[in-house]
Amino acid sequence: MKKNTTLAIAVGLAGAALAPTASFAQSATVQQIMDRGTMLCSGHNGSYFGFVEVNDKNEWKGLDIDLCRAMTTAILGDPDKAQIVPLSWAQRFPALQSGDVDIIIKATGWTMGRDTELGLQFSLPYFFGGTQFMVHGDLGISDSSGLEGGTVCVEAGTTIERISANYLQTAGVEHTMVSYESAAELRAAYLANRCDAFAGWGPSLAVLRATELDNPDAHVILNDQLSSEPIAAAMRQGDEGFVDMANWTIAALLIAEEEGVTSANVEEMAATPPNPKVARLLGVEPGMGERLGIRDTWAREMIAAVGNFGEIYDRNLGSESPYNLERGLNNLWSHGGVLYAPILD
Amino acid sequence: MTTTEVLRKKSRQRKITIQVLLVIISIIAIWGAVSSAQVNLAALGITNGFGFLDRSTGWDYSFSLVERSINDPYSKTLVIGFQNTIFVGFISIFFATIFGFIIGTGRDSSHPGVKAAATVFVQTFRNIPLILQGVFLYSVLIHFPGPRQSMSFADSVFLSNRGLMLPGLNVSPSVAVALILAIASVAVLLVWRKVPLLRGLIIWIAAAISMSVIVAFVMRPEGEPLLSIPSLKGLRFNGGITVSIELVAMITAITLYGSAYIAEVVRGGLKQVPSGLIEAGQAVGLTQGQIWHRIKMPMSLRSIIPPLGNQWIFIMKATTIGIAIGFSDMFYIVSNSITQSGQTLELIFLLMAAFLTVNFSISIFTNWLNNRLKLKAH
Amino acid sequence: MAHTQKLSPNRFHAYMASFSKRAFGTPSAAVLSIVIFGALGYWTWLAVDWAIFRAVWSAENVAHCTEEAGACWSVIDARHRLILFGLYPYEEHWRSTFACLSIIATVIISCFPATWTAKRLTSLWVAGFAAYYLLMEGSLLGLAQVTTDGWGGLSLTLFLFASVVLLGMPMGLGLALMRRSEMPVVRSFAVIVIDTIRSLPLLTTLFTAAVVVPILLPSWLEGDKIWRVIIAFSLFFGCYQAEVFRGGFQAIPKGQFEAGKALGIGYWKIMARIILPQVFRHALPSTINMVVVTFKETAIVIIIGFFDVLASAKAAFGTGEWAPHYMEVYVFVGAIYWTFIFSLGQYGEYLKGRMALSTH
Repeated sequence: MKKNTTLAIAVGLAGAALAPTASFAQSATVQQIMDRGTMLCSGHNGSYFGFVEVNDKNEWKGLDIDLCRAMTTAILGDPDKAQIVPLSWAQRFPALQSGDVDIIIKATGWTMGRDTELGLQFSLPYFFGGTQFMVHGDLGISDSSGLEGGTVCVEAGTTIERISANYLQTAGVEHTMVSYESAAELRAAYLANRCDAFAGWGPSLAVLRATELDNPDAHVILNDQLSSEPIAAAMRQGDEGFVDMANWTIAALLIAEEEGVTSANVEEMAATPPNPKVARLLGVEPGMGERLGIRDTWAREMIAAVGNFGEIYDRNLGSESPYNLERGLNNLWSHGGVLYAPILD
Repeated sequence: MTTTEVLRKKSRQRKITIQVLLVIISIIAIWGAVSSAQVNLAALGITNGFGFLDRSTGWDYSFSLVERSINDPYSKTLVIGFQNTIFVGFISIFFATIFGFIIGTGRDSSHPGVKAAATVFVQTFRNIPLILQGVFLYSVLIHFPGPRQSMSFADSVFLSNRGLMLPGLNVSPSVAVALILAIASVAVLLVWRKVPLLRGLIIWIAAAISMSVIVAFVMRPEGEPLLSIPSLKGLRFNGGITVSIELVAMITAITLYGSAYIAEVVRGGLKQVPSGLIEAGQAVGLTQGQIWHRIKMPMSLRSIIPPLGNQWIFIMKATTIGIAIGFSDMFYIVSNSITQSGQTLELIFLLMAAFLTVNFSISIFTNWLNNRLKLKAH
Repeated sequence: MAHTQKLSPNRFHAYMASFSKRAFGTPSAAVLSIVIFGALGYWTWLAVDWAIFRAVWSAENVAHCTEEAGACWSVIDARHRLILFGLYPYEEHWRSTFACLSIIATVIISCFPATWTAKRLTSLWVAGFAAYYLLMEGSLLGLAQVTTDGWGGLSLTLFLFASVVLLGMPMGLGLALMRRSEMPVVRSFAVIVIDTIRSLPLLTTLFTAAVVVPILLPSWLEGDKIWRVIIAFSLFFGCYQAEVFRGGFQAIPKGQFEAGKALGIGYWKIMARIILPQVFRHALPSTINMVVVTFKETAIVIIIGFFDVLASAKAAFGTGEWAPHYMEVYVFVGAIYWTFIFSLGQYGEYLKGRMALSTH
């Protein structure tokens, strides 16, 4: 390992010497993270199952947490240097703006308002899911028109809050809306039958229904598909280098899946790369790190630590998780999904 | 110059220096805050100013006294939040004051049972954080039966986990609000005219009932009855007044907590009444009730009013727990507006201005009340 | 010491006689007694029956938690570590335990009159706080480092409480002195700060510190969210405590200060040696009250996203398995708060009575 690093540095220096005109802007945020020695990511005030949750050992886990750990490994070489800051939905943007977190990876939809007025910028979407309604089965309804006069509960400060209000108003469905600050409160209110419908993000509703409710059949996810949101990591405006960092973290995880590089075989692949693309990805061929201002082997270390995108999905939402969600849209384009990586050249 | 004069001059100079320094430091701090806000906001690409107040919000919330929609601009939504805070605050203040006086009197009672019950009440509700009581009560309330199995009293009052459905006057919400304000101002008028407590109460209740009947008779829709009675229809109740369960939880929790505190204030006041006066009252054959409202109350009100005013301000501030149980009070609306619009500074400024205005008004009111009662007692 | 003295048999009989006269002296009093004591007794029985006799105690027996059973303490058995220590690393919980104990011990020790000098109380609280911080943070003791983001549950609540009291006390004293100052600018500065903070809900102040202050400060001054919130909370405490001290100052005759001045003693020396010791004495019962209120108010930090004992309680019943047992969790956390607040409050009352006696 040490030998590799030395080699990488040597090769990197050589590369820099060979290409003196190329200067890559080092990201201020990356520099801050390196100086600090930890990366600050958003958690949740409670559990948002499958994405940001707290397990029995009081540790954070979930798809979003793993992406944070992946990015931390890329920058700092150690997934445990990720520091998760608990935040409510409503607080995530103020916390980002104030520098309490470096990045928000928390099932956050990419919207125009956030992109412009809130002064954020977004990474590549890494997940697609739409707003839907889940209702108590005994109501006997199958679409939103049956919600006439009912109560809809939603999390405060989310896009879901606006999308569902807008949808129900367009459909002319009279309703009462109650919004809560945390997922736990919303879930408790829905389970206690305070609400007829739970407006949520499709995948998380499915997770909730599959595992967290005593009897999944007693709950129905309505047919209405209110939206399909691209979910992406959100960062402060003004640091393009950091956005590149996030984009290529996600891209590398997708490319690794495409090329069949997993946490189990990553060292083997690095030793004998099957093709030039994998060689570049794993930092066997130099250049990969220098362009981002970090180590050449970042992707290799990252995949060794958290696995490729498919592994992350399976572990947190898919077959190896209690939720067992189909990948559907969230598969690689080559497997019928909509996820694709930009080109690694 | 003598030494004392030199010392005096030195000390005066030092005092001036200190004050000038304090002013300079404050100015630098404010200037620094403003300029770094400009830098930080510019870096984040956030637009400044109150222009966002005219944009429509696009999100809904649980409670308002007037009609609301997701097309409302931020300005209207914020005004509704303010109304909700005032509304919950005043209702809680009203009930907490009444219960507080009853329980405080109970704490002072010579009857051991009454005293024990009052003590249990005070020690239970005063020694647990309000927010914990709020979320706990809310959890209990939302586990009540749903609307279809709701508990009903005489088929006109219903309690379910959606809320409390009451028969109401058949008038529009804004007329109802105006009526409530009118009834409240009668109370203020009675206090101002120094009408004795018991007679004032009777006049006030009579006025409230007759005003309600007249308003309902004149303002109701053509051909409708005076009262509208709730009835189950589909997923909810139609007609009557719906008090959402969030509002029920807010008012109940704040009232219980506030009345435990007010009870202690009242007890403290009653304690200060000289026992000789009470014995004198007993000697001339006054009943317990007469002693209470002729001697104890007038004597103790003077020391009760100032801390009572503080409790009222406290109750007003306590409405901010609404966010924990999904009630759309001022803080909730501001917090949600910040997330949805990003105008942090402007919204926090409005929030603070609102609370300062209300609480300073309450202080002014209690000072006024205190002066009225002071004059009367002499 | 009438409070602690056991009633002698004679006094006991006298008490019982007076009790029965007051409770059953007249028919209406008797009816009232029967109704009230009956109701209180019945409710106590219901509570005890639910909480003890019909309760299920261990996590393994969770299957017994049915509608008919009483309290399902299994949820506490299974999740008490989450409630007490939040997200603190599981293997390091012993540190959290000792850290909590050091704060609790600090509070208990400061109830003994022997510690009531400014120097002793200050060093006691600084020591208790330092012990807490070193244990929780760990790196200085050579333990694994745990940053404040990993602190949670009851230990976070106690941390907030201790740091607010420790930082708020000098702030309160400073503001009280400023408010008494002869210099008009200094005085009005203190009045504006105190009145503004006291008129704003605590939540607004804390929210501003958490969310708005970073915008107003250059990035090198921002600090951690938790420290910003602690400083704002301390300011809140300081503003109320300043009024408590003001009451203490008012109890001291002006002549003392003037006498000191006439003797040529400097302002700070008069304050430190003559005035403040008396002020502290007079202010002690109200100070204890403020400390109790502060402990209670820490619960509000859940709203600005801290994982305090209330937040971890919510997390404890946040999973499907435990969701029906919210009542037990709230009762458990409520009991923790109640015990702490009630006993400190009673102690304050006792002290007030004792001091009222000693001044006569």
